Amino acid sequence: MAIIEVENVNKRFRSARGVRALLGRGGLPDLVRGRRAEEVTALEGITFSVDPGESVGLIGANGSGKSTLLKIIAGVTVPTEGSVRVYGRVASLLELGAGFHPLLSGRENVYLNAGIYGMRRAQVDAIFDCIAEFSGIGKFIDFPVATYSSGMYVRLGFAVAAHVNPDIFLIDEVLAVGDEEFQRKCRRRIGELIEQGKTMLFVSHDLAIINVLCRRVILLNRGRLIARDTPAKAIDFYLRQIGAPKGIHTLKQGPAEVVLCNGRISLYYRQEEITSPLGFRTQVSRLGGWRGSQDAEWTLTEVSETRCVARGYDAKLGLTHVWELGFDGGDFVWSVAYECAQPLDVEMLEATLFFGMAYTGWMYGEASGGFHDIVPDDTTWAPMMAAEILPEAAGILAADEQRQPSVSMTFENTGPLALGNWQNTDYLSKSRVFRLEERLGKGEALPSGTRKSFCFRFNLGSGRKEIERRSREQGLRRTVVSGRLQARFKRGQFEILYDDRLITTGVHGYASLLIQGLWNDSSNLRWERLERDGEALRAIGASRRFPFRMHWSIFPKSPGAIAWTIDLEALEDLDVQEYQASVLLVEEYARWTTATESGEFPPIRADDDDWVHLNRDYAVGSSVRAEGPGLPAVTLRNDEVDIPLRMTALNTGFHQRARVLQALRAADHGLIHFPRGTHQIFAGEIVVVPAGE
Amino acid sequence: MSKPFYTNEYPTQLRRLIPDLLRGRELLFDLVWKDVRIRYRYAMLGLMWAVIEPLFMMLVLTFVISVVFQIQPGRRPENAGPGFDAVFILAGLLTWQFLAAALTSSARSLIDGENLVTKVNFPREVLPLAAIGSACVNLVIGLVLLSVLHLAFVGMPPATAGWAAALVLVVVLLAAGLGLLISTLNLAFRDVGYITNAALLFGFYATPVFYSPSMVENALAARDLDWLYPIYFANPMAGTITAIRDALFYGQTPSASLIAWPIACAAGSFAAGLIVFRRRAGTLADQV
Repeated sequence: MAIIEVENVNKRFRSARGVRALLGRGGLPDLVRGRRAEEVTALEGITFSVDPGESVGLIGANGSGKSTLLKIIAGVTVPTEGSVRVYGRVASLLELGAGFHPLLSGRENVYLNAGIYGMRRAQVDAIFDCIAEFSGIGKFIDFPVATYSSGMYVRLGFAVAAHVNPDIFLIDEVLAVGDEEFQRKCRRRIGELIEQGKTMLFVSHDLAIINVLCRRVILLNRGRLIARDTPAKAIDFYLRQIGAPKGIHTLKQGPAEVVLCNGRISLYYRQEEITSPLGFRTQVSRLGGWRGSQDAEWTLTEVSETRCVARGYDAKLGLTHVWELGFDGGDFVWSVAYECAQPLDVEMLEATLFFGMAYTGWMYGEASGGFHDIVPDDTTWAPMMAAEILPEAAGILAADEQRQPSVSMTFENTGPLALGNWQNTDYLSKSRVFRLEERLGKGEALPSGTRKSFCFRFNLGSGRKEIERRSREQGLRRTVVSGRLQARFKRGQFEILYDDRLITTGVHGYASLLIQGLWNDSSNLRWERLERDGEALRAIGASRRFPFRMHWSIFPKSPGAIAWTIDLEALEDLDVQEYQASVLLVEEYARWTTATESGEFPPIRADDDDWVHLNRDYAVGSSVRAEGPGLPAVTLRNDEVDIPLRMTALNTGFHQRARVLQALRAADHGLIHFPRGTHQIFAGEIVVVPAGE
Repeated sequence: MSKPFYTNEYPTQLRRLIPDLLRGRELLFDLVWKDVRIRYRYAMLGLMWAVIEPLFMMLVLTFVISVVFQIQPGRRPENAGPGFDAVFILAGLLTWQFLAAALTSSARSLIDGENLVTKVNFPREVLPLAAIGSACVNLVIGLVLLSVLHLAFVGMPPATAGWAAALVLVVVLLAAGLGLLISTLNLAFRDVGYITNAALLFGFYATPVFYSPSMVENALAARDLDWLYPIYFANPMAGTITAIRDALFYGQTPSASLIAWPIACAAGSFAAGLIVFRRRAGTLADQV
């Protein structure tokens, strides 16, 4: 049963007699002459119903009758003809703090305001503390409202309205009040209310909010109801009919449909929405602020059934987004380029891909995971993984592939600095997000002319199995195999497996440089590029703090041995205090051996915080070896005699609990000076042999 | 199907009037209380002004009438001193000032409450009734003053004083009815507010506030205008105030002929006020 029924409602306003000031008409002279007042039709033949627990948006241009309709439902005014039936208590947030009296204190106003909403004093007594707490007014609650800032005023108003506990909320443009913190609170509260099954009717010009909060949208135009549909479709319709139709185009191929709408892309497959209402979009960060693709003025330059080119000019930045959308052999390809007349200093380019809540799993290279549910308490975005350099492919998995297809995406001609990750949004945006960001270096700028940026290729039909297979392939691409030994690169670390058993732990194989008293771990570098060169794996990681890059190369040597070389590319002259390359083995390793001495790894106790060197001989060595019961023996060797490295064995602290084989270079006298240029700093190998050999 | 909580017919249905008023009674008291508090909130003497104002007005009128014009506003009983004149004037003054205050503020009530009328759904009657209510508060304070002065200058009130109290209620009813009418009419025609003010000014002199009706009777008889006298009593306040004084100062039970018309006026205007207001209640928000 519907909770709100609106039947054939008409509303006409008479420019009432006696109200001269409004039209300059209708005064005594007109009355004498028998001239009738004019009528204005605000609503005509409106019929719809709202079910309990539904949230419905009302959109339309200014003067289309949205607010009048809301007022009629709220019972503030009655329709000229037709009927409205409401089966529940209504709180209208038509205007916050309506009826506050400036001279009364906040407390007195809360009671008065709640009374106007139809609450008894005793009921207000019961919830007064909640209201005061929610408003965040604090001790000012006993000050006259006249002394409040406008923000405090609306906060108190919202707090009262949101706590009077009606069945139906009518909300008219009130979400844009207060500071950001309070807006978040409002949104969470609205999320909670929706979750509690309250019925909501929104009026807003912020289509994004309507899009996100409403299950259904009613579109009014000049007092008539012209569409009732899902948010995405009604909003597209609205923008097409009433908004600027210039930047809107639909591409179709088979079951796939792409709607481009002024800097936002929505994807459909067999009429089901793949994207969340927020769609795919891009943004640019400049001087610490963000400008989105939706802020640009869009026009279409080339248009066909399966391909289009759209240009969005952002006058504020002096930047043109050039988007090319098209189908290519069943894949949907979206490429983004930027055009500017003068070099433009920007910090970051980002593409944000909002997927719907029907998706429950993600893949990123060989990594994968599940999205957790988004609850009203989620007021910030939650990354599912740390941002990482782009793999060959990523994907998102549908819970029910009969309805939504799983989507795999590959990346083409992205810059070397691009990082991506999967996130959950906050409750209000309720989407799964793939974020791809490309940070431009200091002093780097978008050049004048055209610069190609992201290019995505989406495969909509591939299915979970295919995406999983690709993901495994990706994993293999990052793995170097040498006999029974495997080394798998992972963001500035590599895991070592022997007979598919992981024998490293913690940060696995990694390297670190001590500069100005700070250790720069390879796992904290920004890994920009990972290349496969035959059997060899090459990776480049840049420091975020000091002017250097690390070039790694990992490749198989004789069976059971993997070579590891590290080149340091100093972008400026660089002084390093010491550096090391280490392998962290699992705790089961029991003995260590260097060229000159040997010993047991002592047990790691709970109060061991620091790493402890176990050997006493600090002379330059060539290898260090570890053995353990039932474990293959691992040797870290230095192959380059020109680099004086101490080969040592260590215990880590308790929280890492690992045995470490380390090649350490310390500066005996002052600093190790690296002039600008590339220097080899480590060339060694990791040799693993079965136990007992 | 369960009964709807609200339909567009509810605001204008007469049979929902009583439930609506019951529902709005707490709000009514809240609004009256709010009005009283803010009226004197930043005045140093606060609620004292509700005493000082009529007292001052009384002194001015007594000075003009008794001292300057040397007229006795009402027949003074033998044992009464000159203070009697002041108390006599005060009795009429309070009643009249109540009506004037109630009508002026209820005329503006819907316009002043625009914020509420155009934003929230509640029984609209509450707004003009709250204006009447807050005038009642001043009336009650005034009546306390009157009792004190009466005891001081006139003596123990006679047993018929109860009639006076009942007649005050008739005036409240009259004010409520007219207030409801004026408040809604004032929305459609803002002229009504000005007309009300003019009528109240006229009424102040056309009502026995600082004189007795017998003076009018004598004056009219002297000019052979006797027929005008009943018309003078067409003003319901004339009969009411006369009857109140009769009961309060002379121990007379009000004669039916004197109070029948005012009571009929009060009841009629109250009914008319409620009905007309209900009729228009649905679209008040459009007119503010």
